[in-house]
Amino acid sequence: MAGKLALVLLLMALIAAPEILSPYHRSLALAILADVALAVSWAFFSGPSRYLSLATGAFFGAGAYLTAIVGARVPWPLPVLGGALMGCAMALVVGALALRLRGPYFAVFTFGLAELAKHTLIWYETGVTGTVGRLLLAPPGPWTLYYTVLCLAGLAVVTALLLRRSRWGYALVGIGADEERAETLGIDTTRVKVGTFALSAAFMGAVGAAMAPRWTYLDPQVFNPFVSFQTVIMALLGGATTVAGPIVGAVFLGLASEILLLKFRYFYMLGLGLTLIVVVLALPSGLAGLASRLRPSPSPLPRPQP
Amino acid sequence: MSMKRREFLKTTAGAAAALGTLRGRAWGQAKPVRIGYTLSATGPYSVGAGITQGPNYTLWQAQANAKGGLLVKGQGRRPIEFISIDDRSEHETAVRFYEKLATDDRVDLMLPPWGTAMNFAVAPVANKYGYPLLGPTAVSNKIKDLQLPYFYALLQQPDQIMGAFAGILKELKAQGKISKIAIAYVNDLFGIELNASAATALKEAGLEAVDVKSYPLGVKDLSPVLKGFKAAGVDAFVGLTYPPDNILATSQAKEVDWNPPVWLAAVGTAFPFYRDRFKGAEGVMGIAGWNPKVKSAGAKEYFDAHVKKHQKEPDRWASAFAYASLQILERCVAEVGLDRPKIKAMVDSTEFQTVAGPIRFVKGSNVSTPGMVGQWQKGEFEIVWPKGLATGTPVVPKPAWA
Repeated sequence: MAGKLALVLLLMALIAAPEILSPYHRSLALAILADVALAVSWAFFSGPSRYLSLATGAFFGAGAYLTAIVGARVPWPLPVLGGALMGCAMALVVGALALRLRGPYFAVFTFGLAELAKHTLIWYETGVTGTVGRLLLAPPGPWTLYYTVLCLAGLAVVTALLLRRSRWGYALVGIGADEERAETLGIDTTRVKVGTFALSAAFMGAVGAAMAPRWTYLDPQVFNPFVSFQTVIMALLGGATTVAGPIVGAVFLGLASEILLLKFRYFYMLGLGLTLIVVVLALPSGLAGLASRLRPSPSPLPRPQP
Repeated sequence: MSMKRREFLKTTAGAAAALGTLRGRAWGQAKPVRIGYTLSATGPYSVGAGITQGPNYTLWQAQANAKGGLLVKGQGRRPIEFISIDDRSEHETAVRFYEKLATDDRVDLMLPPWGTAMNFAVAPVANKYGYPLLGPTAVSNKIKDLQLPYFYALLQQPDQIMGAFAGILKELKAQGKISKIAIAYVNDLFGIELNASAATALKEAGLEAVDVKSYPLGVKDLSPVLKGFKAAGVDAFVGLTYPPDNILATSQAKEVDWNPPVWLAAVGTAFPFYRDRFKGAEGVMGIAGWNPKVKSAGAKEYFDAHVKKHQKEPDRWASAFAYASLQILERCVAEVGLDRPKIKAMVDSTEFQTVAGPIRFVKGSNVSTPGMVGQWQKGEFEIVWPKGLATGTPVVPKPAWA
């Protein structure tokens, strides 16, 4: 009951935020919400399935560049939808090829994806359009962006929650535990893996598309491997096997790095690195794991409904 | 560190204030003029930011504060306080911090970050809150598409730069010193725009490149391109480069034993460390705009002050323009105060005399500085084109690599 009340209050605060906050704090909230959406959607695939994906930067970049290309020619939520479809389509192709790879091979392959996308785009732009980079003039207002990203973050959380309680979600956990056994048990592992991967990529593409108008000018450098790593770090920091974990991780990392950056102009990297090391050493199951350690909880996963 | 720095500033300001009181004026109350900016201290933009912009910002601040501060119309001198962070070479971080500067810190003035993309990212924020932003490191033909009245670009743009390249190549060809031109360009916005401008400029000059090759940002080997040019008998190499690939191409030209009579490259050539790295780099040409011998008032004093404060020379292209942007702000504040629309009006309507020569803006672009070509000659990057601004005459063919 108290939990539900807190949740409702939190939602109201998030919806009212742009009204109360200064433009700077609204931007900070926007950036953190975008990270929440990325981390949650990364974790609902990579957490249970244990396929470490480093493709976040590729999907995010594809969505962002799509917004830059279509620019102001289409009305606002459409670029975001387009970004989602783009991410989804890329993930279907890549997933069909790469999800046969296990462990580090999959991670390395997905890491290469952002570079591949970047250089393909450069090749295309140089050869076909004769220019690289796009100016995004007349972007949607900051309120529009905030609520778009808030919706995406909310949707990602709801998706993650629904997935955990569904047969599909259990199948994914089964794959993570032992893929061959899961297959023997009659799970169509390829379909489950590729489907969930594509769903998570759709969120990443949408977030990229929604954030792009913030930067006025976009070039293929938007396919940034840093985004991929940061997402993994946020999810692992919070705890990748829960829904709350990635949220806590994204909020914590976003606030911590901002505060350190503002207070310690020269030493913030050191501070951030030390914080990460301490958290990882002291809390192997993430920040969210700390909460469940304090509050006895029978199992990290809910029991299946009969 | 940041605390110590602030303390130090306070002490300096305090000392300056005390000095002022001794002179019989009430400096003690002077509130600092707060100026905000981000510069990349980490990430890919940090090298350029640390060479071209950072040292000039701190030099200007130290010089002004040594005089008791920035002269503000009607308020006397007020010390300069910088509010800045490392933007990590991330556009999102920079945009957010400029929003913070405008709405939370409510700074008096803003200075730009380093690089074209960064300037593009923060310019709409500065424009929205009415802060004139004078960018010394934004180079793109797209600047005029931005249509942001508060954004100004000081540096020569691709059309002007390539116009100068074509000008000198045309003359050298007429003198029979070169016959075959080849271009290698980095395929990001900067290189692609320069290359497009090169095609137009060469055509207008009645010239044609025998070969044009592109390569990706972060390239690790350019020797195949260089060997190809060498085999084709190219005698004028034009590299539309960033500093890392410029250095790479120069080292590899020596390795593949190719010494064309003209070696002309874009960004990086004008850095003193390029000269030092290649033992004088005698005869190497590049984009130019400034050296301590130019006739602009204060050029030599600026050079000496930069060397004295930072124990290193300013680069011979954009550094002086970074300093000039601060001179422009300083003069505006002295004449109209910190009222930003008035500053903007003055920037729009005045021709400023700076260490980098006269600067006047039309629709946000500096129209007073033409494209220039420089050449390292006995330790100085002499301006060799256009002739009206030249501090030296071109030496072609260039001597062998040292």
